[in-house]
Amino acid sequence: MSAVFEAGADDRIFDFLLLVGPLVIGLIVVLGRSLVTEAVAIAYIAAFLGYTLYRGVRPKLSNTG
Amino acid sequence: MNGAVATVGRDLGRILEALGGLILISLVVPIVWGEYFALPALVVSALVPLAIGWVLYRRFQDAEAPGRFHGMIVAASGWFSVGIFGSLPFLLIAWSVQLGVPGFTTPAQTATLAAFTEPLNAVFESMSGFTGTGLTMTDNEEVLPRTLQWWRTFTEWVGGVGVIVLTTAILSRPGSGSLTLYESEARSKKIHPSIVSTVRTIWWIFILFTFISILALWLAGMPIWGAINHGMTGLATGGFSITDNSIATYDSVAIDFVLIPIMLLGSIAFPVHYLILQGDLRNFYSDLQTRWVFGYMGIGSAVLWAFLYFAGPYETPFAALRYGLFQFVSAATCTGFQTAVDATNVALGRWPSYAQLTVTFGMFVGGAAGSTAGGIKLIRGLTLAKGIRHQIADVFYPESAVRRLEINNRRLNEDEASREFMEAAIIVVLWSTFLVVGTFLLLLTLPSGEYSLANVLFEVASAQGNVGLSSGITGPDSLPTIGKIAFLFHMWIGRLEIIPVLVMLRTIFKHGGVYR
Repeated sequence: MSAVFEAGADDRIFDFLLLVGPLVIGLIVVLGRSLVTEAVAIAYIAAFLGYTLYRGVRPKLSNTG
Repeated sequence: MNGAVATVGRDLGRILEALGGLILISLVVPIVWGEYFALPALVVSALVPLAIGWVLYRRFQDAEAPGRFHGMIVAASGWFSVGIFGSLPFLLIAWSVQLGVPGFTTPAQTATLAAFTEPLNAVFESMSGFTGTGLTMTDNEEVLPRTLQWWRTFTEWVGGVGVIVLTTAILSRPGSGSLTLYESEARSKKIHPSIVSTVRTIWWIFILFTFISILALWLAGMPIWGAINHGMTGLATGGFSITDNSIATYDSVAIDFVLIPIMLLGSIAFPVHYLILQGDLRNFYSDLQTRWVFGYMGIGSAVLWAFLYFAGPYETPFAALRYGLFQFVSAATCTGFQTAVDATNVALGRWPSYAQLTVTFGMFVGGAAGSTAGGIKLIRGLTLAKGIRHQIADVFYPESAVRRLEINNRRLNEDEASREFMEAAIIVVLWSTFLVVGTFLLLLTLPSGEYSLANVLFEVASAQGNVGLSSGITGPDSLPTIGKIAFLFHMWIGRLEIIPVLVMLRTIFKHGGVYR
């Protein structure tokens, strides 16, 4: 855990995504394809993309604000 | 020389220990999938490099930190050793099935698995995996035990980032030696001042992106086992598949288009990924290599699309776009996934020669330095192009003029520009020389008239660029023994950007009295 937090992008959200990644994939392996697992996978990817974009535009937003 | 042997021996020992650890981790797969017959072979495969590595490390643990010379020899010998010892799971599992394992239920032998009872085929597969090439000695990957499907994928995944990067991250040692080794594995840019922190961050990014890739492929419709394997090999720009016809097996537009950004992610340098995750999205266009990853892939794909639609085998613009875009990105990122195979459309080897040569050019240049991609790397191509323009323009300036060459936001003076230009030129010349020699060798050894020059050039560029696309030459029976040995060499030098291998060979020959 400490190795994960010490490396990477120094951001707790990305660290969280890294840690729950294996759990999401494990869930899919166990439960197979269903609405729930698809929703979880979509949420995971959306969280990553959304948060990356948010981090990208945040400095601009704060500058304009 | 004894000092050098000790330094190289100590670091080689660490690399072999890491390899043994990777094989031990893979024990999970036969346990989960109930392939218990593979367990003894896998345990033995792990113990051999572990034991040799442990002895080497213990024997030489007090050796001095490596310098540039040692670093190159460690890199060259380390990758070669990993290729050799990484073949043990292929070899021993194939023999386990061939002979049967007492006390375990073993499946029937298949022609595909039987090919690995030949040590050369097993070493070829292992070297192809670790170097991220993806050319294969299997006829039908689907019939391989899951353990070997996994081992092929795992070798590419680890090899994509780098065996030495892995060793440094896990078995870290403070001091300048780790930086030397890191740089000897064809990397230069650091993310953090500390090299251990840098390599750990590289792995952090790589693992996170692997999860994203797996989930995206699964959402696109790939079964989860396929998504795990193809997500790993796609991001590592390796290109091994678990299906007989690579990605063409799925014949899915969605999967094809999801794989394109995954391959592109793999061909962008890790320091750029780090900056983007830090919120600095400008790097998509401000970093020269990343900008060119998109520009060069866009231009190449457009040219290939035009060849395939207006003068080629595809009847609709969309079909030409689908196969042209995917195959150019697959080639230029050095991944090697194939969608153009006979089963679903027109195989790459039967594309018009100018289309094949366009793909060959993509393989020649490759992706960004510091990424998982192969080829001569975009930065070298750009340095060469800018350097040539600089040299030609020099004639038009007075001798007293002070000129600077700007590359990737760096302004180089005459000396620096000359040094960088020369380095890029040397790599390109060496790369081209080995490509031509390999093509001649293959033309001599292959049955005459069976393959065109474009086919042969394509295959050698694919091996040396660590790409893995095939025009149909590579296979356990179709590729002669000399061709397999030559391809082993091409994959090895391609992964290490040639120089470290030449340094090691020169040292061996010199020490053996062959070279003076």
